[in-house]
Amino acid sequence: MAELNAKSIVRELYPRALKATVWGSVTFLVVYYLPMMLYPTDMLPLDYATPLFQFAIIAVFFAVAGQLFSGTIIGCGFGVAKAIVIIAYFFAVSDGGVFSVTLPISELTVNLAVDISVLLLMIVSVNLINIAKNLLAAIDLLTEQSTNIDFTLN
Amino acid sequence: MKIVIRMLSVAAIILWIVILFFSVTAVYSVMNLGINVGEVQMLPSSDGIAFSLPFSIINNGYYELADLNLTTCVTDPDGTVLDLTETFVPSIPRGSNVNATHTISVDLDSILAMNHVSLLLNDSSFNVEIFAGLNFARAVPVQLSTNSTIPWGAPFAHFSIGTISVSPHNSTHDKATIPVRFENHAVIDIIGTLKVEVYSESNRRIASGTASINVPSQQRYADSLLVYARQQDASKLTSSGKMHLIFETPVFVVEWWEQYG
Repeated sequence: MAELNAKSIVRELYPRALKATVWGSVTFLVVYYLPMMLYPTDMLPLDYATPLFQFAIIAVFFAVAGQLFSGTIIGCGFGVAKAIVIIAYFFAVSDGGVFSVTLPISELTVNLAVDISVLLLMIVSVNLINIAKNLLAAIDLLTEQSTNIDFTLN
Repeated sequence: MKIVIRMLSVAAIILWIVILFFSVTAVYSVMNLGINVGEVQMLPSSDGIAFSLPFSIINNGYYELADLNLTTCVTDPDGTVLDLTETFVPSIPRGSNVNATHTISVDLDSILAMNHVSLLLNDSSFNVEIFAGLNFARAVPVQLSTNSTIPWGAPFAHFSIGTISVSPHNSTHDKATIPVRFENHAVIDIIGTLKVEVYSESNRRIASGTASINVPSQQRYADSLLVYARQQDASKLTSSGKMHLIFETPVFVVEWWEQYG
């Protein structure tokens, strides 16, 4: 019985781990490697590599966790957590929607403020949709489990 | 339920694509903006000095730049506002370019009306605060601010009065020669009448005289002014006292006091 359980766990876990690895790698490539290739750090006078790397770590972590626990309540929980973390991250990085930076340009010190409230609003909206989707998915899973009738029982 | 979940997923994907598309094209557009700022030119104007800053913006991006606003605030070293100028460009559509000039007019009459004698006699610098704002794609407002300084050349820099020499003029009056020298560091020529009134230590006017002067920009003036005093007052001229100097042009009148002796 124990051997059967171990076999089924390996059979279940192995494809999930493989899928999670692939998704994690693809996410890292899309979120960090591709933007860095398109916009190298010397292109703009801003240190955007650090926040981008932090975002890539968050994205990779939740991509891996989401794939490992896909189709489960825990997976839905990770989906909600991902949306909340992304909202919080963008709020923190953009300082509440107004991104300020001081740039030394020749002899002058230039203060630049970019109001990205609209972009932040769009990011919040898409993550709220993701929260709703994950909550509905969790409810759907629980409903399926509670309405399943096991005819093998006596 | 499954359909709703699927539709929410589709909506989220579409929104992510929109966000990514906008972000990538916005960064690309910003990198393709050509902003050229010319040299600041200091030119004489009818009522003072005009600082002219030509600039051009070439919008090779994907989005319109709207409500471009360039504001400069010129203050003297004490913080008094001398000029507040705004240049506004309502729209720079994509694929077009705009050439504009931001002109800061410093009205000499208003500076002198503020009794800034030190600005007449000493070189200084004005602080210039620059604010620039625009609305990128009518969605992302961008603000830029910096400050700089503009050198101010004093029109009567290093003003000095030499030793006064007195000689008899007629039976009642003596003639005094007052050596005056200064350097015109201003960008404008100094053309006008310099009136000198000499006062004794007891604040009594003892002599006066007028001279026409014409000192081109960046040139030195060294000449003598002639004043006439009654013979009984002539001795007071060579000791110490005060001089009231009044410089008159068709545009402005400026006066200040100098100690001599």
